[in-house]
Amino acid sequence: MRRTVVLLVIASVALGIAGFAAAQAPRALVVQTGTEPPGLDLTATPASATAGVVLYNIQECLVKVDAHGKIVPWLAERWHTSDNRNYTFFLKKGVRFHNGRELKAADVKFVIERAMNPETKHPYPQYYAAIGDIIVKDDYTITFSLKSPTANFLLNLARQGSVIYPREAVETLKSAPVGTGPFTLGEWVRGDRIVLKRNPDYHVKGLPKLEQVTYRFIPDPNAALAALKAGDIDASLFGLGPEHVADLKKDGRFDVTIGETTNDVILAMNNSRKPFSDVRVRRAVTYAINKPDVVKLAMFGLGRVIGSNVDPLNPYFVDLAGAMPYDPARAKKLLAEAGYPNGFEAVLKVAPQYYYTVRSGEVIVDQLAKVGVKVRIEQIEWGQWLSRVWKEADYDLTIIGHAEAWDIANYANPKYYFRYDSAKFQELFQKSEVTLDDKARREQYVQMQKMLVDDAPAVFLFIHPRLVVAKKGVTGFWKDLPIPSSDLSEVGWSAAK
Amino acid sequence: MKRYVLRRVAAFAVTLLFVSALVFVVVRVLPGDPAALILGTEQNPETVARLRRSLGLDRPLVVQYVEWLSGAVRGDLGTSIQYDVPVGRLIVSRLPVTLPLTLLAGALMVAVALPLGVYAATRYRRTADYVAMIVSQLGIAVPSFWSGLLLILFFSVHLGWFRSGGFEGWSAGLWPGVRSLLLPAVALGFFQAAVLVRATRSAVLEVMREDFVRTARAKGLPERRVITLHTLRNALIPIITVVGLQLGQLMAGSIVLESVFALPGLGRLALVAINARDLPVVQGVTLFVAASIVSINFAVDLAYAFVDPRIKYDA
Repeated sequence: MRRTVVLLVIASVALGIAGFAAAQAPRALVVQTGTEPPGLDLTATPASATAGVVLYNIQECLVKVDAHGKIVPWLAERWHTSDNRNYTFFLKKGVRFHNGRELKAADVKFVIERAMNPETKHPYPQYYAAIGDIIVKDDYTITFSLKSPTANFLLNLARQGSVIYPREAVETLKSAPVGTGPFTLGEWVRGDRIVLKRNPDYHVKGLPKLEQVTYRFIPDPNAALAALKAGDIDASLFGLGPEHVADLKKDGRFDVTIGETTNDVILAMNNSRKPFSDVRVRRAVTYAINKPDVVKLAMFGLGRVIGSNVDPLNPYFVDLAGAMPYDPARAKKLLAEAGYPNGFEAVLKVAPQYYYTVRSGEVIVDQLAKVGVKVRIEQIEWGQWLSRVWKEADYDLTIIGHAEAWDIANYANPKYYFRYDSAKFQELFQKSEVTLDDKARREQYVQMQKMLVDDAPAVFLFIHPRLVVAKKGVTGFWKDLPIPSSDLSEVGWSAAK
Repeated sequence: MKRYVLRRVAAFAVTLLFVSALVFVVVRVLPGDPAALILGTEQNPETVARLRRSLGLDRPLVVQYVEWLSGAVRGDLGTSIQYDVPVGRLIVSRLPVTLPLTLLAGALMVAVALPLGVYAATRYRRTADYVAMIVSQLGIAVPSFWSGLLLILFFSVHLGWFRSGGFEGWSAGLWPGVRSLLLPAVALGFFQAAVLVRATRSAVLEVMREDFVRTARAKGLPERRVITLHTLRNALIPIITVVGLQLGQLMAGSIVLESVFALPGLGRLALVAINARDLPVVQGVTLFVAASIVSINFAVDLAYAFVDPRIKYDA
């Protein structure tokens, strides 16, 4: 009898374990990322590598940009404004920081005031410049009164610099950030990996789906590909190049997702330097470049051709890709009109840290040579690019991707490295900043985009694609990237791996 | 001997002082400001100036150097701008990767090169000699990052024997640690071995022409004893010199291979720090590597005296 009972117990335990193993999908995910974050404090660095790990995973904002680019309530369950000057936010109750304390309106006030304080070295003080007063009405109600109406106010509160953290954790933001997000920071092994653990008290029921996420830093794209194929990583979010896509699509073990981003790759021209100070020359350069060929040859056909600054994920996007089509004859005519019938010589400075800059550059050099513009490529390291091209505008031509969403403001800044100085454009932009009527603002944005085509301060080449490669069975990644975040809260394994 | 050691220690200090001053100036003179790099394309002159001030970069270069040096003498190499961790701790945390990797690669290098070089010398101008030379020529010509990728493709992707990269840490056990380092050590060591094969071969060949080797053979000693006891022993001085130089090369080579294999070692730390202009880390790592290389050279010099009793320091 005793033996029978023991056997029954053993058998039921064994069956239970087997059943459990069969029903359970894996709950951990290893993702590859090319760049290690330079610190995890979103209030001290604008690095997209930091946002990729922290934003919406560890720390969150009052409002959120969702997968479709829409601003939705988040830590604030709703907001209200009657005059577009005073915004009152009603916080979600029962939201807890990872240290166990409940989020209160005073935390929000502390965080935003700290961002506005010039002594704290916040990278985006301009986002909060319009805020006049922050009034805590009660623990869950807070009002921001603005000095002037600001069209992008809500968007700015959803960006990476506006994450909410508890005031007692301000000293450890750089190495051990605390927030309200779906994951907590498990460990950061410098140089190797960051491990995030599930936040059991997350304020959104049923999320996150994963118990653990490991970001492994693999800088070399070929090594990342090998790691994926060897099964050492489950997904690659930022690390692989377009050259790997065709091969991976054929491989039945993986799903390849190609989406849009806000990263517009441009050939910038120094508008303050001859011959690019002449709009005819800038137009000639634009006509001389065959953008579809650049995408085909440099990006293996991945990347959407664009004609102006605004990206397709922006609600005010107008497709102007065909506005100045490839027309070398016209380019030559414009060059002759500008006094350069035999072309001229110029230097293209690129930073090979971003692979697409060199590759696109090589194609463009060849295309410009056909209209007599002889361009020499000079490769410089990123630190040098920032100081020589970006800061001092010591360049003729350069190629770079502008990853930030809603960055048309750069063209309204005559000191920005394009040195594009158009009073008309600046006025239009200022108007758009205070126009709150959606239809009127859209019209202004359309006008601005068209002006950028006509004035050609830069050649708008293509949108850098979002490439996500994951093992079959991993679901829930955002297809597009309307904001530089990689929200993993809904990522999980489907039961059949 | 004592006076010699003292002299070398003094030279060691002067070398390090020179290296530290050089690195300090070079990383600051190069275009690329750490504050500007941290803020990237979001910077404006005011935010950059504020950050520069808080990093202490607005003070005169000499003041910065003296302050850094006085800290370094006391063992305080400063704090990493990027990681917000003391540089000394950062370097120590990377040693469990780089040190075993260099030693493993060095051991593989010697284990392959010495027998092959001696064998090639004894088969001088015969087929085996030519084969050994062609193989070593290939080794010199093939860049280690490429051979590293080939090794990953074959042993990780196709056979699945090793991890494709990354390092679990020694806490996972001895074998998982060695398994993570074996492929990069092979890529690093075997290909460095190529140079050592050639050096060994020519050193052995030279000694084989000496009178005492002919005498040993004439005495009727077996060929194996002639080669190991009489020839190799006397050929060791140039071989040890090359090994010493190559250990330094291995450390430099690890910068590239640690990136290919995504290993959190000293080389990768240096590379990331240079790109981010993390000045305290660049200075700390350079100083550490310089100290290691000078120490290796010192050890090589001392080894001469043990290998060849005729060499006496302070004679």
